[in-house]
Amino acid sequence: MKLKHSFFTRRQFLNGLLGGWAGAFLASFLYPALKFCFPPTREPDQVVLPFSDFEDMEPGSVRNFSWGTKPGMLKKRADGSYQAFVAVCTHLDCNVVYLPDKKKFFCACHDGWYDENGVNIGGPPPNPLRQLSVKREGEELIITKKSVE
Amino acid sequence: MKTGIRSWLDERLGISSIAGFLRKKMVPQHRHSLWYYTGSAILLFFAIQVVTGFMLAFYYKPTLEGANQSVARIMTEVPLGWIIRSIHSWSASFMIAFVFIHLLSIWIAKSYRRPREFTWMSGVFLLVFTLASGFTGYLLPWDDLSLSATKVGTDIPRSVPFVGVWVTKFLRGGEDVTGDTLTRFFSFHVSILPLLIFAFIAVHVYLIQKLGMSLPLSVESKKEKVKELPFWPNFIYREMVVWLLLFGILMTLAIFFPPSLEKTADLMAPAPEGLRPEWYFLFLFQTLKIFPPKILFINGDTIAVLLMFAAAILLFFLPIIDNKPAEKKGKVITFFAYVFIVFAVTMTVWSLL
Amino acid sequence: MIRGKKPAPVFLLLLVFFLAFFSGYDLAQQETPEEQSQAAQAEKEQEKIVSSPKNIKESTGLYVFVGWIWLAVFVLVFFLRLKIKEVDRLNRLGYFSNKKK
Repeated sequence: MKLKHSFFTRRQFLNGLLGGWAGAFLASFLYPALKFCFPPTREPDQVVLPFSDFEDMEPGSVRNFSWGTKPGMLKKRADGSYQAFVAVCTHLDCNVVYLPDKKKFFCACHDGWYDENGVNIGGPPPNPLRQLSVKREGEELIITKKSVE
Repeated sequence: MKTGIRSWLDERLGISSIAGFLRKKMVPQHRHSLWYYTGSAILLFFAIQVVTGFMLAFYYKPTLEGANQSVARIMTEVPLGWIIRSIHSWSASFMIAFVFIHLLSIWIAKSYRRPREFTWMSGVFLLVFTLASGFTGYLLPWDDLSLSATKVGTDIPRSVPFVGVWVTKFLRGGEDVTGDTLTRFFSFHVSILPLLIFAFIAVHVYLIQKLGMSLPLSVESKKEKVKELPFWPNFIYREMVVWLLLFGILMTLAIFFPPSLEKTADLMAPAPEGLRPEWYFLFLFQTLKIFPPKILFINGDTIAVLLMFAAAILLFFLPIIDNKPAEKKGKVITFFAYVFIVFAVTMTVWSLL
Repeated sequence: MIRGKKPAPVFLLLLVFFLAFFSGYDLAQQETPEEQSQAAQAEKEQEKIVSSPKNIKESTGLYVFVGWIWLAVFVLVFFLRLKIKEVDRLNRLGYFSNKKK
């Protein structure tokens, strides 16, 4: 029975309180459950490689390394310096390959093309290949995430 | 608006007939009504097992190399993984505890009397499936304790003449416990047993709805009409109170007393000391222990296992055996329920000393 | 089962059973010594992985979470009891007999 001056009946009030608290109770389990189902990405902050594995590279060639669970590519430029990419296509995450005769990176999934510096030049990729910083420290190569200059 | 949606759904799904039935279903109220809550408590814990089981299966790797490491990862790397695992472990114990309580209350109240024999029998199947789920789940972390417990547990059927050896081989996937045992147990634990449990719960719940709630003999014999409550909404709200309290207790125990993990099992290592099965198998474990190696030239273990099997068969056919529940025979059978309680508790406590 | 006052055959049966039971016992059985050196015990403890909250923030968060759960449980039980009282009252008034919403 609803009185004229009240917004809702006592029953509706009780039902509202019950439903509201029940909803809050259940919702409070949503956050931990989602956290469980979405573990943080396991990308490393840096990768340390022995320089001996890479010093015999020819200029203009590319060698693979592991960037966490993703493939990485270390490229020796013509002038002898090193460049590192995350060898994952920026279109839909397929792994790319380096074609040394064409001096281009190619993604077989949808015919994506990148030039020798990883810049996207053909096909669907919207962005260049992700670059990583390479630093030589003694007998080691330290590869880190590229920071914004 | 609510009536609009309700009638829209009802036109397509016909749910009003189920809703109508639930409103008409009555639950008797008497001094033993408290035991009526045990069934839905089991369902609550089973639902929790299914959900936490789904989540654990996201990260668990059921292989010899990956099992222990994946559980370690769940406990250390996956956000709040240790809580999900802890809830799964505790809820298993709660579910099995309530299965025993439920079984004993039905036994003592003789709710299995005609025409409810099949409800009891489907329940015995559910007991076996629940215990099997506990047993198979226990191996999955693949540490030394669970490996040894599985070796012992799967060895027990072997003492039964002729067929025992084949049961052991079937459970183990070979002569010994290996990586194949692990994958087999995983298949049982996440696929075969849950499907069987769902199927038998469906039968069990259908029979309860069809045959209605039973009354204990002491209440039935009184000629006065028993007070009844509608299942929906009166009894269901009471059940929700019970669920909430049980859930709170479960979460508190799970968060403050999480299980640990030993290092990965070594198939060649000797059995660890202090080897014990989970608490719900302790009374069987102790019973097997006290049997002598030989009784009149027959292997002691064989007799023990056969006795246990016979007890299970008797339990299954209890409604048929107890065909005169109101008479002396019926009282003796009730007495045996108490004997079983005392036996199980004594054996459990003894095994812990 | 146990009819009348004739327990003697039952006792005889139980006696036979117990004799048979203990005939297989090796009474010279020795208790397996349970020795575990301190070092081995400590090593075993270290190899265990114990789940626990990692830092003070996480453990405080857990206490808050458990506290919230119990708060919500008690609040919900309080409201449910009110609801049960209401619904029982309606039942007594015959609201639910032959009612089809």
